[in-house]
Amino acid sequence: MPKITNKSWLTFEGGRQNEPCLWKMATRFPGVMFDIRQASVQKDIGIMAVLFEGEEDEVKAAQEYLKEQGVRVDPVEGGSNVAG
Amino acid sequence: MSYVKSLRCKECHTDYALGPLTVCDNDFGPLEVAYDYEAMKGKVTRASIEAGPRSLWRYKDLLPIEGEPKAGFNSGFTPLIKADRLAAELGVKELYIKDDSANYPSFSYKDRVVSVALTKAIEFGFDTVGCASTGNLAHSVAAHAAAAGLRAFVMIPDDLEEGKVVGSLVFGPRMVKIKGNYDDVNRLCSQIADKYNWAIVNVNLRPYYTEGAKTHGFEIAEQMGWRLPQHTVSPVAGGTILPKIYKAYKEFITLGLVEDNSPKIYGAQADGCNPVVKALREGQELFHPQKPNTIAKSIAIGNPADGYYVIQDIKESGGWGESASDQEILDAVKLLARTEGIFTEPAGGTTLACTIKLIQSGKIPRDESICVCITGNGLKTVEVMQGQFATSPAINAKMSEFNELVSQLEETHTTPSPRPTPTA
Repeated sequence: MPKITNKSWLTFEGGRQNEPCLWKMATRFPGVMFDIRQASVQKDIGIMAVLFEGEEDEVKAAQEYLKEQGVRVDPVEGGSNVAG
Repeated sequence: MSYVKSLRCKECHTDYALGPLTVCDNDFGPLEVAYDYEAMKGKVTRASIEAGPRSLWRYKDLLPIEGEPKAGFNSGFTPLIKADRLAAELGVKELYIKDDSANYPSFSYKDRVVSVALTKAIEFGFDTVGCASTGNLAHSVAAHAAAAGLRAFVMIPDDLEEGKVVGSLVFGPRMVKIKGNYDDVNRLCSQIADKYNWAIVNVNLRPYYTEGAKTHGFEIAEQMGWRLPQHTVSPVAGGTILPKIYKAYKEFITLGLVEDNSPKIYGAQADGCNPVVKALREGQELFHPQKPNTIAKSIAIGNPADGYYVIQDIKESGGWGESASDQEILDAVKLLARTEGIFTEPAGGTTLACTIKLIQSGKIPRDESICVCITGNGLKTVEVMQGQFATSPAINAKMSEFNELVSQLEETHTTPSPRPTPTA
């Protein structure tokens, strides 16, 4: 499985901004590296720019896990996936 | 000569060489075209602009192209109408309509952004262009691509108005209808731009594409006699046009082409899709994405790409945001048509309906200059107006029946007041 880097916006709403969703993802998918490039949090919403790196299926599974936790995952326009 | 310096991240201000890039590698912030305004001073003047063509390309020095335009040769320079009959109806002193329903060739403001994007696509050597669209952009990309001899893929939600679908198909693009709303289409287009070497105008050419929207603001200033309206009301969909009108005003101020009268910018959205207005009302910098539910489909974008910057610019300018119900939107479409003879689509109705509410709430003073940005044509969305008007039964070709009908119509229709005499 090829390695990829993926740029995504994560949106945390409905209380998710107060939960350690990324930590939980990291414990479940230790092979997926993530790097927070930008973040902004208000009382009821948080948005993060996150770079993911790892094997393609693992990155996708990790992002699916975040979605299951109620986190919105959007690709960064025009440059979300870069083959590694 | 080009005055473009670089692509610059709006967040961390890192500079990048010109290319089909859209986000910063560091923080994923959007890239924006940066210009050398010092070099423009004394060269980009009122006279140099007035000597240009009667199209958006008269502002070529303030657009990010390297050589001569390669698309949209007749786009832009749409009418700015002093709307005295509408002003009288609303009880305001000085009201203008910037009428992009008359834009060429596809009757919406999108002809501006597509003219610039396709010129850049050709400069970069792309042979295929595409877009994620709520209808007007697909129409414009299809038309401009046909004229430029480029292959076009237009991606749209599957529930668009028939006028926009047919109006695009006639130009021969490959149309892809996608089940879902615009945000679903846009999400897919981001992935398409990654995989295919195509110029998706509002994705991987976005920094250039958005610059075309400045010409709407440049024209307002020039057509008002090189001055700025004190209050400008713009629709907000993906968030392209409002920040670019504001940027256009600031560029003209920087170059000394207009006086700085602290112009205020206002955003208009439909109640059924108002993430930016809601954030403004709640005093938030970030907006919550929404699932759109409105008849104003061309502005039904629940997760606007540049929504954050719309909020920033509205706040910086001292403006505000407002939203309108579907019925208020339809009523405003009819009001604009009845008073000024302009038939706009629901997006334009939204902008006017919100302007009325901003005036009524005192956010916009009645004695200062106001410009309403009308961005699309109602002939593309006639189905939303069906059932809004009473129609008379057909009569036989007899004068007696005509006379009777005239009396009935006089009872059901108001006689318009004459156009007010223009004041100096």
